[in-house]
Amino acid sequence: MSYAELHCLSNFSFLRGASHPHELAEEAARLGYQALAITDECSVAGMPRAYAALKAHAESVAEKNRINGTDDAPIRLLTGSEFRTRDDALMLVLLAQTRRGYGQLCQLITTTRRRAEKGDYDFLTGDIESHDLSECLALWTPLSTHQDTLPAQGEWLKQHFPQRLWIMATRTLTDQDEEQLARLRQLAGQLALPIVATGNVHMHQRQRQPLQDVLTSIRHGCTVATAGHHLFANGEHYLRPLKTLQRLFPAQWINATLEIARRCTFDPGELRYEYPPEVVPAGYSAARYLRELTEKGIEQRFPEGITLPVRALIEKELRLIGDMQYEAYFLTIQDIVRYARSQGILCQGRGSAANSAVCYCLGITEVNPEKSQLLFERFISKDRGEPPDIDVDFEHERREEVIQYIYRRYGRERAALAATVIRYRSKSAIRDVGKALGLDITLLEQLISQIDWRDREHDWRQQLFDKGVVKKARTAEQFVALVNTLLGFPRHLSQHVGGFVISAGPLAELVPVENAAMADRTVIQWDKDDLESLGLMKVDVLALGMLTAIRKAFEHIGDKLGRRFGMEDVTPDDDDVYEMLCNGDSIGVFQVESRAQINMLPRLRPRKFYDLVIQVAIVRPGPIQGDMVHPYLRRRDGLDEVDYPNDAIREVLERTLGVPIFQEQVIKLAMVAAGFTAGEADRLRRAMAAWKSTGDLTPFRDKLITGMLARGHGRSFAERLYRQICGFGGYGFPESHSASFALLVYVSSWIKHHHPEAFYCALLNSQPMGFYSPSQLVQDARRHQVDIQPIDINFSQWEHTIENNHTRLRLGFCLVKGLSRNGAQEIVAQRPPGGYQTIEQLRDLATPDNRDMECLASANALRSLSQNRHQARWDILGHDTPPPLFSGTSVHDTAGHYICEDRRIELTAPSEGEDILEDYASHGLTLNRHPLALLREQGHLRFCRTAEELKTGNPGRPVQVAGLVTGRQRPGSASGVTFVTLEDETGNVNVVVWLNTARQQRQPLLKAQLLHVKGIMEREGDIVHIMAGKLTDLSHLLGSLNVQSRDFH
Amino acid sequence: MLWLYLHFPYLLLEHFSQSDPEPRPMALISGKPAKVLQANPLAAAKGVAPGQSVQTATALMPDLQLIPADLTEQQRILRQQAVWLYRHVARITLYAPDGILTEAGSLCRLHGGLEGLWKTLESELDRRNLTAWLACGHTPKAARLLARTRQGQCTDDRQVLKQSLRSIPVEHAELDPKATERLQRMGLQSLGRIFQLPDRELARRLGPETCLGLQKLVGTAADPQKEWSPPAHFHRRLDFAEDVEHTSGLLFPLQRALQELEEELRWRQHSTDTLEIQLHHRVESATDLPLRSTAPEHRASAFLALLRLKLERLELISPVIGATLQVERFISRHTPAGDDLFGESDSGRDEAWQHLLSRLQTRLGDGALRALSVQDDHRPEQACQYQSIDTAKTGAAMTRHALPRRPLWFLKAPQPLVHMPLEWLAGPERISAGWWDGERIQRDYYIARLHSGQTGWLFRDVTGGWFIHGWFG
Repeated sequence: MSYAELHCLSNFSFLRGASHPHELAEEAARLGYQALAITDECSVAGMPRAYAALKAHAESVAEKNRINGTDDAPIRLLTGSEFRTRDDALMLVLLAQTRRGYGQLCQLITTTRRRAEKGDYDFLTGDIESHDLSECLALWTPLSTHQDTLPAQGEWLKQHFPQRLWIMATRTLTDQDEEQLARLRQLAGQLALPIVATGNVHMHQRQRQPLQDVLTSIRHGCTVATAGHHLFANGEHYLRPLKTLQRLFPAQWINATLEIARRCTFDPGELRYEYPPEVVPAGYSAARYLRELTEKGIEQRFPEGITLPVRALIEKELRLIGDMQYEAYFLTIQDIVRYARSQGILCQGRGSAANSAVCYCLGITEVNPEKSQLLFERFISKDRGEPPDIDVDFEHERREEVIQYIYRRYGRERAALAATVIRYRSKSAIRDVGKALGLDITLLEQLISQIDWRDREHDWRQQLFDKGVVKKARTAEQFVALVNTLLGFPRHLSQHVGGFVISAGPLAELVPVENAAMADRTVIQWDKDDLESLGLMKVDVLALGMLTAIRKAFEHIGDKLGRRFGMEDVTPDDDDVYEMLCNGDSIGVFQVESRAQINMLPRLRPRKFYDLVIQVAIVRPGPIQGDMVHPYLRRRDGLDEVDYPNDAIREVLERTLGVPIFQEQVIKLAMVAAGFTAGEADRLRRAMAAWKSTGDLTPFRDKLITGMLARGHGRSFAERLYRQICGFGGYGFPESHSASFALLVYVSSWIKHHHPEAFYCALLNSQPMGFYSPSQLVQDARRHQVDIQPIDINFSQWEHTIENNHTRLRLGFCLVKGLSRNGAQEIVAQRPPGGYQTIEQLRDLATPDNRDMECLASANALRSLSQNRHQARWDILGHDTPPPLFSGTSVHDTAGHYICEDRRIELTAPSEGEDILEDYASHGLTLNRHPLALLREQGHLRFCRTAEELKTGNPGRPVQVAGLVTGRQRPGSASGVTFVTLEDETGNVNVVVWLNTARQQRQPLLKAQLLHVKGIMEREGDIVHIMAGKLTDLSHLLGSLNVQSRDFH
Repeated sequence: MLWLYLHFPYLLLEHFSQSDPEPRPMALISGKPAKVLQANPLAAAKGVAPGQSVQTATALMPDLQLIPADLTEQQRILRQQAVWLYRHVARITLYAPDGILTEAGSLCRLHGGLEGLWKTLESELDRRNLTAWLACGHTPKAARLLARTRQGQCTDDRQVLKQSLRSIPVEHAELDPKATERLQRMGLQSLGRIFQLPDRELARRLGPETCLGLQKLVGTAADPQKEWSPPAHFHRRLDFAEDVEHTSGLLFPLQRALQELEEELRWRQHSTDTLEIQLHHRVESATDLPLRSTAPEHRASAFLALLRLKLERLELISPVIGATLQVERFISRHTPAGDDLFGESDSGRDEAWQHLLSRLQTRLGDGALRALSVQDDHRPEQACQYQSIDTAKTGAAMTRHALPRRPLWFLKAPQPLVHMPLEWLAGPERISAGWWDGERIQRDYYIARLHSGQTGWLFRDVTGGWFIHGWFG
């Protein structure tokens, strides 16, 4: 006896299904079902995951058949979807018979999804009539609540699904079962329709009933205790053993399931990606066109002629691309990049295929293959068969132009964003399960805010008790178990940051398209993993702030030099630039500007391009947790010897001195050291990516270790490698991305070193981006001798500008909080040649409104027109027409001009402290003295050393420091340590607070704006750390600058 | 005129800690995401401060107790304070949610000067474990600002009060936010600086509203106050000329009091459901005789009927010399729902029903009456329950078709089945529910005819045991 389950919901029927698609697939296979249809509610989002699981299953069945000489067939996956009308008058499951039927199903889902709000759908009975569903089978649930209309409904369905319609019979052992079946029998006889047995499956095993109850309660916004009959009466909605099914249903109904499964021949593996044809001009083949573009690129990239090795590389790559039939993919990306270039939008490709000589010639990347030590083959291999991956970063302010181009070129019917599946994380799972169990919401929120999430759920069960969130051990057990099961469940679909799927035909016949949160945006129902498992390609169009800054800096440099300036004009291998980085002077530079990176720079001492590739990848949680940083540094410094067990491993690890630093190396190691096949290595890569959510690499452990032992490696080597892989899980950085980033690191460093004013001006004009606030950037700029001029009504533009023959940076109006862009632009446009002379003239010419005037006054931008900002505000406000109540005397002359009062009121000018605070309040930074300088002068910080003084201090000594708190970080890679950054008038001080210190001094650590620290100094060159002892909150001193303190950042 | 303002900085927190033997760190939270609204001194000492996120607050103090702010509750508590204050002062204005203004000038003589009044209030506050910041002022606003900024002094000296007012930072002057910001950014940080400027100039820059506010503060503009009046309660004391030895003798005098109550209730358009009657004895402490009706009532005859039942069951411990009737709980009377065409009204039937229930309850005692109710639950035990008459909802929201087939005669506890039945009529119906409250059941139910000829509702549980759970008619 066999069976095919034809009505089964996965957890992609959000808040209904209580099992993952792969769990359902694996369970169905285990039970010996002949086929399983995943029929999520108006969705095929769960299908690819079930498909991936069954592919693995099929492989193992084939393996067994080979060994045992048997001929077992693996379980088949059918694709379908469940539909209900809003009034519940009609409920159908549609199954795709063929590829065409699958397209029809996707089109129907698309229609019903597109007409509803995001995340919802609206299925109308008329859709059956207006859609071609000729290659779909229909299973019908006659709902007992519509008894009278059922025969008519049946007749109508029969017309639309001739010989393709069944009545679904489900037995979940409720008290209605028998009556229901009797009714169905009668109806079937009356309509001459066959009946098919189905399970209305919501979970893979009965044990999921509590979770299913919880999901139902969440959906209805109630608790399990009050949900009552919203819940199923029992746990029978699971994949039941064949024996049970045999007892419940007549053989005829079970045979119907098999017949239907036979008639559904569609296999998701049939889905083929078809490239949009327009990327290849008429009369060309894709290969010939790619060759032609590459040759053109060679002429541009290598005007002095191409070297033999590069030529050989290009030929090899083109051959590989041809073998894999990837030409159209490269051409699609080239087309997008070409458009961006034509619009002057800076872009840079990265990813496995991006670092190729071909991509260099096509203009997709600027990384010169001669310089990078990168081998294309390393990233694309024939045997692994994974699709090429090219992400392209564009200037963040102009990416939308590129997206609009894609929509224009391919049409909305053929281009849509990939989805991102938003999943339950710890907080949301605890919140929702807690609510469903009826726990106190306030206590729950308190618990959530306190749990130390890095401490991987160790003691939050205990905290449940300590906080009084739960009173009973049973509830706690259930709570923890439910939360752990719910983790990783999909909640809804969101849009991917920029992954486009572009197809040759209508996209909706390949995958359903639904509405995204953003107006005019649509997303498909699959995310990037799904696309990958079905072998479909996407093009990542991403936004990167640094590219905006670089393009703006290039414009400034071009102005200065009087010629166009671009990436290609940046001189490579500049020792001075590397020297700057070696000193840790990298604020504002791409990627290596974080505190951890700044600290690493003097230790790693990058001297050539590939050093930067390593630098970008090494300061990541993966290498840090896998303990790869220190071995690498020691080997580099010649303190440890480098040795390789064999040549194969040498080849993988040589460029990083025997220490795996990149994700690709780990995967490759699994292959050469442990004998993983390409497919297994690929599964390992995915498991690593998912490790953060599932934490399960154990299936690979045995295979890795035995594989390595079998190949003669020592156990300690094997164990170390496994540990490194675990450390990498989810956090490893691929070399293919690191290389492209390294280029931007070099370019931005080069600009910072050679054209600092252009560098800072461009960075400030590209905010918000990077790690640092405008205030911090301005301070860093002044430390690099950049002359910064204040915002001034007579000199500033909206943006920051470089003036006075390219020597000075003038802050722009854009910094002024509350100032309208139109108002500011009018002020610039109407400005007389000699500048505004009086406030009245400013009013007459530019007619700014009062709000803008007040903002300008506060920012002290009216300094040339008024004595001080207080008086400026008073004068401006006085311009208002007096209110009727007080309009005894006229204060305007006949022309409406403001005339002086009889008694002019003089307000006191602000003190220096007030000025500083007002600077921060009005535009977020000050060009006056730093508040710390003022406090120091007032004698408040008598024993404190400045950041500058620390650089020459003696390590190991107790010191005192004080500064504005500009950062508090608790990186996951550093167990329990908090890093605090203090800013004083000379620079930044790094403070390290250990967990115990932090626990005892929570208040100053968490609250202080101005912090005083007593501690021990550690110094390595210019890199100074203070190991904190006593922390004191000095924020009240800021208040003493003024009567009132304000936020600084 | 001199005004006295009481600001209660921790009103709700202190209300919640009344029952705590040890003071605990607590914070009031509200909003989404929740932020700290108030922190009591224990919490404040650890750095918990208004405006903080719950995360920050609990990071500072992991054992902080969070209390969601409930403004209506706080207003109720504020009114409670007004009630006892009313015994000491005459004119009261409520400043919800946390302040009370009183007129102090005319009362000083009564309390032996301002200091006397101040001290009286402080000791009353102390006795109630309440924190309030007191301040005097020559205008209501001045008193309020001084109290809220904790600058109150027990003085009526104009110069002294004016001086403290001048030092108040402008952000605490309760001007509109825009005007406050403007003043601050012109360097006018305190009220003193602002008072120096001419009204007309200020009005032009800040608007007439703000200016009027400032004038009310200094007293150049009138600031009428809305007076609060204490809630009435009904209180009658009866003194008997002769001792009453039998309960029957109490009916007549109490009937008079009930008449008066009815008049009072009619005048107020109110009803009540709770009457406190005390019978006073010569030596022994008074006998409490609470009367409760199931629904709000105002007619003396109805109360009298209840009283008669109550008295019938009462044995006097000693002769009664007097009685008091007190009603504190007034319920505003709803206009009855409209009658139907024939003059029959739902409310009329409902009234009769309530009346019956009252009488049954009074005679049988509270808790003796139980109602059968249908609960929305898959488990038969939970679905069909006896509940106290007050909590049971007749005609629950469950729709008819959702009701599964259940026997009317439902056994309180399932009984083991001795002989296998003659004939299976229906089943199995599988019920698996209740994992969440420790009353989990996993059963297969059947309907079957037994050897006795009865139709029974049987089940088999997970252990395989068979039970009878009910009988079908």
